[in-house]
Amino acid sequence: MPATSGPLTPGLASFLKTLRTNPIDTSIDNLISLLKRRQIRHSRSCATATAYLLRGVISASRTNDANKLIERVQNVGRRLMAAQPREMVVGNIVRRVLGLIRDEAEDDREGDFNLSEAGSESQPQTPRGLDDPTDVLSARHDGSDRGASRQPLPALTAAPISMFSLLSHPDTENSLPGTPVSASPSGRLLGHAPSKDIRAEVLDGISEIIDELTQVDDQIAAYALDHIHSNEIILTHTSSTTVQKFLLKAAAKRKFTVIHAEAFPNNHEATHATVSGANPYDDELLSTESFQKPLIALGITVILIPDSAVFALMSRVNKVILGTHSVLANGGLVASAGTRVIARAAKVHQTPVVVVSGVYKLSPVYPFDFDSLIEYGDASKVISYEDGDLVDQIDVQNPLYDYVPAELIDLYITNLGGHAPSYLYRIVSDHYRKEDISV
Amino acid sequence: MGPKKGGAPKQRGNAAETVEETLQAVVLADTFETRFEPFTLERPRCLLTLANTPLIEYTLEFLANAGVEDVFLYGGAHSDQLERYINASKWRAPSSPFKQLTFLKSTSTSVGDVMRDLDGKHLITGDFIVVSGDVISNLPIEGALAKHRARREADKNAIMTMILREAGRNHRTKASSVSPVFVIDPTKDRCLHYEEIDQHNPDSTRLNIEPEIITSHQEIDLRQDLIDCNIDICTPDVLSLWSDSFDYQAPRKQFLFGVLKDYELNGKTIHTHIIKDHYAARVRNLKAYDAISKDIISRWTYPLCPDTNLLPGHNYELRKGSLYQEQGVTLARSCVIGRRTVIGQGTSIGDKTTVKDTVLGRDCKIGKNVTLEGAYIWDGAVIGDGTTVRQAIVADRAVVGKNCTVEPGALISFGVEIADGIKVTEGLRITKAPRDEDDGVPTSEPEIVGEGGTGYEYVPYEDEDEDDTASNASSGLIYNMAHLSLSTDSISTLSSEISDFGGSRSGSFSTTMSDDEDSDHFVHDAAASVYDSLREGVTSDVVQLELVSLRMTANASDHQVRRAVVSAFMKRVAQLMEGGKGAGEAVREIFGKYREIVERALFDREREDKPDQVDLLVLLQQDLVHRSRGDTVLLFIAKELYDLEIIDEEAYEQWWDDERSSSTEEMRQVRSQAQQFVDWLANAEEEESSEEEESEEEEDDD
Repeated sequence: MPATSGPLTPGLASFLKTLRTNPIDTSIDNLISLLKRRQIRHSRSCATATAYLLRGVISASRTNDANKLIERVQNVGRRLMAAQPREMVVGNIVRRVLGLIRDEAEDDREGDFNLSEAGSESQPQTPRGLDDPTDVLSARHDGSDRGASRQPLPALTAAPISMFSLLSHPDTENSLPGTPVSASPSGRLLGHAPSKDIRAEVLDGISEIIDELTQVDDQIAAYALDHIHSNEIILTHTSSTTVQKFLLKAAAKRKFTVIHAEAFPNNHEATHATVSGANPYDDELLSTESFQKPLIALGITVILIPDSAVFALMSRVNKVILGTHSVLANGGLVASAGTRVIARAAKVHQTPVVVVSGVYKLSPVYPFDFDSLIEYGDASKVISYEDGDLVDQIDVQNPLYDYVPAELIDLYITNLGGHAPSYLYRIVSDHYRKEDISV
Repeated sequence: MGPKKGGAPKQRGNAAETVEETLQAVVLADTFETRFEPFTLERPRCLLTLANTPLIEYTLEFLANAGVEDVFLYGGAHSDQLERYINASKWRAPSSPFKQLTFLKSTSTSVGDVMRDLDGKHLITGDFIVVSGDVISNLPIEGALAKHRARREADKNAIMTMILREAGRNHRTKASSVSPVFVIDPTKDRCLHYEEIDQHNPDSTRLNIEPEIITSHQEIDLRQDLIDCNIDICTPDVLSLWSDSFDYQAPRKQFLFGVLKDYELNGKTIHTHIIKDHYAARVRNLKAYDAISKDIISRWTYPLCPDTNLLPGHNYELRKGSLYQEQGVTLARSCVIGRRTVIGQGTSIGDKTTVKDTVLGRDCKIGKNVTLEGAYIWDGAVIGDGTTVRQAIVADRAVVGKNCTVEPGALISFGVEIADGIKVTEGLRITKAPRDEDDGVPTSEPEIVGEGGTGYEYVPYEDEDEDDTASNASSGLIYNMAHLSLSTDSISTLSSEISDFGGSRSGSFSTTMSDDEDSDHFVHDAAASVYDSLREGVTSDVVQLELVSLRMTANASDHQVRRAVVSAFMKRVAQLMEGGKGAGEAVREIFGKYREIVERALFDREREDKPDQVDLLVLLQQDLVHRSRGDTVLLFIAKELYDLEIIDEEAYEQWWDDERSSSTEEMRQVRSQAQQFVDWLANAEEEESSEEEESEEEEDDD
């Protein structure tokens, strides 16, 4: 990399830049240390970095064997997750990639059967040859994951697989590790064409995940008009771009009032910048959202309040819209510190709490010990380090996240639509394979 | 990029030149201070662990965070250990954030020498950061760097920016005994004056600010509330400035002070960048060690915390109450683990033991009913049942017996064993490192460590003429401020430990010095310079020229010149001998080639009495006292000097009779072999000298 006169501090941008040139093992170590040093933080940056890295890992691994791919991805995934266990999206992306590989492996095998049974005569067994059967199969299988098949309502595609998978998956899963794909007789018959396909398919799948990551906010924002009505008073918290886009989308059509809690001490500067529209010194996400107009430019009244005033104002609020760090399988949240107070206040006032979050933040982890999910940050944000006497005598703790239990949340809006917290387990089982839950 | 040795800087010099504007950093792994003795007797300071992670890791992490790509690491004492560590570390891996990590060994005995050495190597191509190997900081440096660059663009003379952390009036991380005072022009962030106030020395409690400064600036700030963490952003000019002022040793007390004072002369300005957020501190002494450990545990340094697991293989997790625990820790059911504690892998803690504010390394064994409070127990230490340790350091593999009491400020060094029931009193330092070069096995002192223990009390080596005797009184780990005083930024520590590079510790230039500081500096600088020249095989003219110019500037006496020459020559001879040459061969090589230098240091050729020549011989003798095979070497030197007609017969006689040459047992010992030569001189007739010498030489070569 030539001399960087721009941003010196390594981060997502520099990582992605070097990803292409560096050997993959170097990039893995690089990402691990970036995660450890907290130079890549926030869910989306972590998810993006992980997805790109895994794409690199898959395309660099010369193997054609699905099991080997799975093993490799698991290996890398474990290391990444150990580097910063509290960025749960890293694990989510790893699991989804693993799921992709498994799906492709199964598709491939079943496709082989179809081919060898139906069209074993003169049909050329090139990668093209698989197109037809996979399309047929994807109706059954593909709804369980990403991208292309998401636009139709998930419930439609989800129902058939769920029944199907309940009955049929246990034995396929069990048989999978035992019988590697390429070892199956049909695989040998076909040469290595189908296994080559696996890698290409997986790479396509990862690209879809990456696309999803870039589009997720807009997809979520598409639901905004269903949830925000004219003259409502909305309370929100932190500088989450997902929430901002959501509100902006609604603001284009409707007039409402936003009360913005400032999220002191870890996010207040960014929040202030978001509210005032001053270009935030964006951390590594130097993309379009830093150029977007603030809500006030669209004629929306935005009231910035300290976190302590949330309870007092809650009685007037019609709806609370929150961003989150990650969503857990039970419907609970790990979100910026202060979220729990807001959710709790909303509960007391019977104000609906809506959480906007990409599906990529949805983690299959169940919070048995939610203390361990909370990251503690820099104490000097709370009291200044100059104050020698205090520093010496007081234990200062600065949790970056809160755990918000599911019962305080009324609705989740993801890029798939709105869900009740109790429904999240379904989305989890659609997105992650059971065998990957513990990587 | 494979691992690199410090020995071949030249090829890389070219490589570095081609890449413009990569950010370079110089890490001074050894800061030439003795404050961590006795631990630094056996391990380089930057490998001491702070919250179970070696200090150097934090510094390199800081540089990685700052986006530095080229790192030059200067090792000092125990540089082999450091080099081994670095080569095995993740910084050498292909994924290292550094494009280059160059390990440079040097013969330096001060920061100044390092800078001058660096200047000579021409490795620095642009702005660079200088940090010592014990900086802990989470500061992103872009802000300071951008300002520095802007200033430099505007004014070429803005050569350096110091990063200072604001820290109130009382702060645990601030230096307590010596407070640096910065006089700053806040409108331009320019540092106008720097001075250190020694709190324990009533003479130095006032500042001497030039009236000029006050009259010529509308606004000045006098600040004493800054933590100086020795992070400097420098332009290459700084190096040449160091080279110009060869007597500067310390980066602050001398270099900064001097450059600011000479503003009128050279017009260079030095600026400050005062930060109000982020963490920056330096483990300058044991008190800072304690304070920074606490800062790390309380997450002031986030993300540089134990649960970040900087080292591969670490797996700390944060539990409630700032408790960091690795996997594989064995805790007895009834033990109480209090707040702010770090426990490493494989450590076991026995029943009813209380642990609080403590850092425990890996594989420690803590017995039953033990009380640990504010203790730092490093890897593999064993604490017996019923023992109490408060605010003390127990180093790797040390063993403290049962029912002992270790009082605040005690330092128990590597591998020391303390028998049961012993009370280690406040501030005691116990080590078992080889005491001196000559007694190989250190004797244990039973009155200190008990029957069956190993280790003895370590009394810090202190320069006789230096002022900080107070620093010996306590280790500085304890909070008791009255006891606290730590040596000033160390020009004083030309201690034998550091300047050593041949192998024998006494090889230093400084051990025999007792003159005032200036002459010390001259002798030291001159010796270093001559030695370097000898090593590089420069012609004697050049060496002579250098020596003369050094002498002129320092206004040094002939005696001092001789001392420097002797010191350098002897070091080189010793080195050649270590390299496998015979004593005679080595002596002939050096004295033959550089005869002129010796000759020019003697001014009594024409006189009857030969004080200069005698002086030279005495100096040689003194120097050789400390060296291996000194007696043999002396004999060869005597012969060689005679052959070269540098020293006359009369001088030998006068030397032999001179009381200095036989003042001590050692001196007599060293000259014992030369006896035959002197006898021979006395007896022999001039004519047939040559033949006899040859035969004699052959005898001695055996």
